[in-house]
Amino acid sequence: MNSAWTVFRKELLDVMRDRRTLLFMLVIPTLSIPVLMWITSGAMTHFLEKLAKEKVDVLVLGQQHDPKLVDELRQRSNPEKAGNRLAKVLEQYGLGEKELALVKGEGKEAFVRLLKKKNVDPKEFIGKVMDSVNARDFDATASNIATQAFPPNFRIITKLDRHPDLSPDDDDYKDVLLNAVRTDEIAAVVEIPKDSMKKIKDEDTTRITIRYLETSDRSTMALKGLKRIFKSMSKRMAIERIKAHGLPEGFAAPIEIRAERLPGPGLLVKLMSQFLPYMILIFSFLGALYPAIDLGAGEKERGTLETLLVAPVSRLSLVLGKFGVVLTAALVSSLLATVSLAISLQAGFLSDLSVLSGEAFSFSATEAITAIVMIIPISCIFSALLLALSIFAKSFKEGQAYASPLQMIIILPALVSILPGVKLDWMTASIPIVNVSLALKEIFTGNLDQHWAHMALIFISTAVVAGLLLWFAAWWFRREQVLFRS
Amino acid sequence: MGDDPGLGDTGVKAEGLVKIFKDKKRGQVRAVDDVSFEAHPGEVFGLLGINGAGKTTTLRMLSTMLKPTSGDASVCGFSVTRQGTEVRRNIGFMSTATSLYGRLTAREMVVYFGKLNRMHPDKIEKRMKVLFELFDMNEFADTRCDKLSTGMKQKVSIVRTVLHDPQVMIFDEPTAGLDVLTSRTIVDFVRQCRIEKKCVIFSTHIMDEVDKLCDRVGLIHNGKLLACEPIEDLKSYTDSGRVEDAFVKIVEAKS
Ligand SMILES: Nc1ncnc2c1ncn2[C@@H]1O[C@H](COP(=O)(O)OP(=O)(O)OP(=O)(O)O)[C@@H](O)[C@H]1O
Ligand SMILES: [Mg+2]
Repeated sequence: MNSAWTVFRKELLDVMRDRRTLLFMLVIPTLSIPVLMWITSGAMTHFLEKLAKEKVDVLVLGQQHDPKLVDELRQRSNPEKAGNRLAKVLEQYGLGEKELALVKGEGKEAFVRLLKKKNVDPKEFIGKVMDSVNARDFDATASNIATQAFPPNFRIITKLDRHPDLSPDDDDYKDVLLNAVRTDEIAAVVEIPKDSMKKIKDEDTTRITIRYLETSDRSTMALKGLKRIFKSMSKRMAIERIKAHGLPEGFAAPIEIRAERLPGPGLLVKLMSQFLPYMILIFSFLGALYPAIDLGAGEKERGTLETLLVAPVSRLSLVLGKFGVVLTAALVSSLLATVSLAISLQAGFLSDLSVLSGEAFSFSATEAITAIVMIIPISCIFSALLLALSIFAKSFKEGQAYASPLQMIIILPALVSILPGVKLDWMTASIPIVNVSLALKEIFTGNLDQHWAHMALIFISTAVVAGLLLWFAAWWFRREQVLFRS
Repeated sequence: MGDDPGLGDTGVKAEGLVKIFKDKKRGQVRAVDDVSFEAHPGEVFGLLGINGAGKTTTLRMLSTMLKPTSGDASVCGFSVTRQGTEVRRNIGFMSTATSLYGRLTAREMVVYFGKLNRMHPDKIEKRMKVLFELFDMNEFADTRCDKLSTGMKQKVSIVRTVLHDPQVMIFDEPTAGLDVLTSRTIVDFVRQCRIEKKCVIFSTHIMDEVDKLCDRVGLIHNGKLLACEPIEDLKSYTDSGRVEDAFVKIVEAKS
């Protein structure tokens, strides 16, 4: 055992002097998560903003059937004309699209927290907002503010350049439309029925058809915008009808709902508990990868294997020393990834989110220890497997070639934590890797108390497999056919 | 073969060593076929043979890296098949395939192998100081091995090999691919070992080297030991008195 410790210390020193190992063990786990987040959130915001700002053409067919309706549609789909006093108020308080996206669908409380974070007096703000939209009840308005402030941006056209006489009765009607949407000439089509004006006058329902293309983002965004516009037009008309009959305003809206989230785990915890297990497993594997290849195949490639084998040390000590270094790298790497993800989420673009929901991602000592206890045996499995593969390989290249398929085999089950709805039960608890991924998910969600039995099963089974694999690696290391392959 | 009673405790004795490799393309390869010889303390035993003759395989069995298919050998009285760790504690092994760890410095490299040999840290320090002085190595003692010249690397390898003062030294073509001066360091070192009464086994395919260095020679061909005798006897096989001619004659006669 003494010699295993000697081997461990030397191999650790050796590996720490290798830039590739340091890169994979320290730099990549620390930086990849924030960089990835920064890029995806930046890119998403960029493209969404571009889409939102872009003025797209919507073809309206049948304007002649209800010119008044189309006029209002035109009015409402032009942000400048829709003349937004609300937008001006928001701008004055420095609330951009990004911040509003955070409170979209949330109630008053979310707004209050957001404003407090910006050091704005909520009372004054609420007053101005309600004034600008002529609302009486802020609670009811809050969830709509984001939508109202940034109306869709359409140019309404009534005919296509190349098919000025297109009508829904034409044989190639849908083909022409499909082509026009595909080539981005228009984003969607609105069909006003012949009897529209009459139906509205008769206090009946006019049925408007919107045609769109599922695979085009411009088209689906246009569909959303159009639906919203027609919904608010419909609401305005309903209120007018009710007033004309002298009925109360609530007549046509007997039920109104508002969803309020309970305090406790929210979006941040959900995201963390989905991504962390995957990250931990992947980085445990990646952290072990390079040291393993270096300490196994590397000895053969650099011709140091025989130097080592003629030393009076048992093969078991050699394996244990090397295994210890690979395991250390795996654990350091996954720990760094965890810390990095936690910090990125707290400090990064989701910080506003955590402020809004008033939650912070933290866990108790019991949870942290249980998580570590779950991570160690699975990291042992990765380390023993990679070391065994690596000592079999004759060169770095060969070692990497063996490791890549293994990586695929591990990524897929690790991904299960991200899939919605997969729960930890006796079935999933008995699938290797999947079980650890789900166990970590439950721990980070705060459900540890309901899963002690599962945790015990997973720990014991993983530890047994890890022990067997380590035993296998030691046996493997004694075989001439492995060490001296021709 | 002589049966010197004390030999087993200080020298090397190979008895009927056989090594069969299973090769996918060639089927069974008898790399070493019934090889027996003795090497005594204070003697340089040369293992002479062409490429693929089985030299490396024989020496790997002596140093316990490979297990003999049958037969056994004893090193300082320890069996290579049953007492591997003890055997390895008593040998210094050096070949073209025993490279240094490039990311360790010369000193770290030597200390590591001292520790693996279970030497006391003070003893490692003392012995290292003497050896570094002897080989004039202090200048690059703290340089990483991958930055050293081939000659410097050879010196580090030698120190690594003799640090624990083994009784048996095994060299597998140690001069292959080295220039005249660097080979000279090694040749001088082998001579020094003989003076110190160590038992040296030295494999090569260079006839001149055998002539210069060895006291006794084992001639190996296709895994078989064709002759095993003092260098003088070998040279008297032909009129020319050259090792090379003797080698050709014996190989032609026996195969
Ligand atoms: N690990 C192995 N697996 C299969 N065959 C092997 C293995 N090692 C050696 N051999 C074969 O055994 C025979 C003897 O090889 P060995 O390396 O002992 O020869 P050598 O005398 O050292 O030659 P060289 O001068 O080339 O070093 C060769 O035919 C070689 O191909
Ligand atoms: Mg050889």
